[in-house]
Amino acid sequence: MRHAEGAARLSAAELYNARLGLWLLIVSEAALFSAFVAARYLIVGTARPPELNQALGWTITVVLLLGSLTAYRAEACIAHGGRAGFLRNTLWTLLLATVFLVGVVVEWVEAFHFFPPSTRYGTIFFSLTGLHGLHVLSGAVLLLGVYLHGRRGRYGPEDYWPVEGVVKYWHFVDVAWVFIYPTLYLVG
Amino acid sequence: MRRQGLPDKLALGARVFGALAVLTAVEWFAAGWPGALLWLTLVAVGKVALIAEYFMHYSQLTRQED
Repeated sequence: MRHAEGAARLSAAELYNARLGLWLLIVSEAALFSAFVAARYLIVGTARPPELNQALGWTITVVLLLGSLTAYRAEACIAHGGRAGFLRNTLWTLLLATVFLVGVVVEWVEAFHFFPPSTRYGTIFFSLTGLHGLHVLSGAVLLLGVYLHGRRGRYGPEDYWPVEGVVKYWHFVDVAWVFIYPTLYLVG
Repeated sequence: MRRQGLPDKLALGARVFGALAVLTAVEWFAAGWPGALLWLTLVAVGKVALIAEYFMHYSQLTRQED
């Protein structure tokens, strides 16, 4: 049952179902990423090219972790009616997402030179970072959406499920990278 | 359960981020340890547990209200 005011204000049961549905999506996405990670060990074992840019890999990992913190802060702010804090932290998250994607592009340029997609490690590297990069991009688009709605005063302490959903998805993108980073950069 | 205020939540987020940063540093060194794959997996699972519990509020699914 919807409440009278606020188009997206959900009842407790609706909110629970929305959360459960999102978690099921996240679990299915995790299965997809798991298959890609498993393929790394199946195809190239634990081998790792020495040309990998370790400094860049570590930097974009920290950038993504910072993005999780700012996304968490954005959700916490809107849950307490802090619209300015929500907008500020969402903007920071968007900025960090952009920095991450730029980092991936730089890494791709280097990777094309040292281990192009036609090589076995290149296949794994470009597949994993490409799949993850698309998720970062889609997460950033969703964050931009809630930012723009938030600027128009769309969300409040009792009505912020879209923000919560997008932020949960954003954290999942971070969770995926938690496994991808050691798989590509550290193992071997 | 006492409902957390915004300052409490923000402080909790900072502490979780600190723990994630420490684990990321540990990960860097663990790559050189014997049995690195096991250590890296354990660190990754620890990081995911922190994110799932504190940032994604996984336990909301088993609680009536949050």
